[in-house]
Amino acid sequence: MHELKIAEELIGIIKQVAEEENLKKVTKVNIQFGKMIMIVPDVFHFVFDGAVKGTIAKNARLHLEILPVKFVCKKCREETEIDDLLFVCPLCGSNDLELIQGRETVIESIEGEK
Amino acid sequence: MEIKIRKNVLDRNKNKANEVRALLKEKNVLMVNMISSPGAGKTTLLEKTLENLKSKFKLAVIEGDITTDRDAQRLKGHGVPIVVINTEGGCHLDSHSISKVLPEFDLDNLDVVFVENVGNLVCPSHFDLGESFKLALVSTTEGDDKPIKYPMLFREAKAILLNKIDLIQYTNFNKSSFHTDLNNVNGKVPLFEVSCTQNLGMEKWYTWITNQIVSK
Repeated sequence: MHELKIAEELIGIIKQVAEEENLKKVTKVNIQFGKMIMIVPDVFHFVFDGAVKGTIAKNARLHLEILPVKFVCKKCREETEIDDLLFVCPLCGSNDLELIQGRETVIESIEGEK
Repeated sequence: MEIKIRKNVLDRNKNKANEVRALLKEKNVLMVNMISSPGAGKTTLLEKTLENLKSKFKLAVIEGDITTDRDAQRLKGHGVPIVVINTEGGCHLDSHSISKVLPEFDLDNLDVVFVENVGNLVCPSHFDLGESFKLALVSTTEGDDKPIKYPMLFREAKAILLNKIDLIQYTNFNKSSFHTDLNNVNGKVPLFEVSCTQNLGMEKWYTWITNQIVSK
């Protein structure tokens, strides 16, 4: 249930930004999680809806995007996007890879009314 | 209106972890974040490792436990300072809780802090504690599919221990399938096949962890 902790942190950021921007309400929250974070979208929606109750973001729609895992092979520099979490370069077979996408827990933006 | 934020949701944890890391670097203390399922053998591994290392190095333990201090009670007899963090239901430790308890140790007089995280393969791997590295422990009785099911941990760990190797004959653990999956997730990570209770394969692990401490 790391979803709960992530949702709490997320709401902290939303409140802070909404206050700085003098928003009256937050209508939409756009977030991205890398596939490696293993967020279950249904669980996250459930946890988020519970956590925003009584806050400026109550009734906000959550737009959640899961980013696929991408790596660059350190040997042949090939960039690969994978679905199956197989960390082997499909071009040269090397497992010496640099992960360039897939571990994100990013709040991209919020939408709201002043 | 849309307001761009583009910020890591876990920034607060990350920033505190970086503070912890800087402090430990300044004090030249190695911190090992031990992660496994409940019952894989983290506490037994710690008991054996403390016994082996305590004459050579100054050690300390942070015990992450959901409600009890039973693991800490088990470790008490080994003569190293122990601090318990009760997460009160929380499924992982975070950098703020580590930062709060570190002053309880004499960091100027310490080589290693072993952190026994809460038993869980998912959540602890997402929360940086400011550790020097993560250690993943898995046991034969859990099944051979853990690396492919929990790639985040097995990719990020600096070493993997496969425990309860003495029980393998009573399980359907397929060693070659485990090796293939681990190789696909993280082909470069050192693997130690051990039985902590039967003291099998432990020497190689002790040598490796000793080298980590010496070269910190």
